[in-house]
Amino acid sequence: MADYTTFNEIAVGDRFPETPLQFDVTESRVRDFLNATGNTDPAYGPESGRAPSMLAAVYLVDLLKARNSPPGGIHAKQSIRFSRALRVGERLSLSGEVVEKYVRRDRPYVVSGFTAADESGAVVASGTITSIWGRGE
Amino acid sequence: MNAHGTRASGGPRAVGDAMPPMVRRVTQVDIDRYADATGDLNPIHVDPDYAATGPFGKTIGHGLMTLAYAAEMLNRWTGGRFDEVGEIEVTFIGPVFVEDTIRLGAEVTDILQNGTAVCALTCTAGDRRILVGTVRLPNQDNKEANHGA
Repeated sequence: MADYTTFNEIAVGDRFPETPLQFDVTESRVRDFLNATGNTDPAYGPESGRAPSMLAAVYLVDLLKARNSPPGGIHAKQSIRFSRALRVGERLSLSGEVVEKYVRRDRPYVVSGFTAADESGAVVASGTITSIWGRGE
Repeated sequence: MNAHGTRASGGPRAVGDAMPPMVRRVTQVDIDRYADATGDLNPIHVDPDYAATGPFGKTIGHGLMTLAYAAEMLNRWTGGRFDEVGEIEVTFIGPVFVEDTIRLGAEVTDILQNGTAVCALTCTAGDRRILVGTVRLPNQDNKEANHGA
């Protein structure tokens, strides 16, 4: 338990991780994601150079792991805003911050904001993740 | 033709326009493959023995997996516009159980003055609601202005 960040310990303004994560939009990641979701849309892949924006589902997992939340958490809400399509071969810089925490119906909620920026610093996706914080049971 | 190789004749144009629904059966193989691809190996998704002792009694799909299905459907409907300027906000209401057949759909509920289409997104498994949400598809010709609207 001591290895996890508890609901009492986490605070609005906490950034995770301390330095932005790097995420490479590789051909293999795109291929694996498309295969895993059964997505056969011919718009994607090495020939077009286009990657699905919902590859966010992959990098958000990496980002959420950085919060070090206890097991048993539940993904309650999700919002994402895309600013442009992803390109195979580009590198994203990911950062997150706790923007709200509250208790409702005895359930501890944490709202985290995130941004994914490209190598020029332009935001390609942003949004919030609302989690019911795990109790580590 | 557009980036998705589809005609741009579909997509949300007027209130009441409905997206062709997506129907999928979710198997443990699907869930395991998704877990491997994303690195989300939470046992509630991938370990039937562990999940049998949990609140749902069996494994459940990842919430973001359902969202990935929705994104595929929205991109096919809009010729890739969702990837480029789309916004989505969902509340996960109930789990997708292994072997569920889910049905995703969206319908235009409003067209804003700036051309942004606002759509209601739903996902159900039989009588159970899986998620509800809102999708906003700005007019791509003026996306900066629309995002700021």
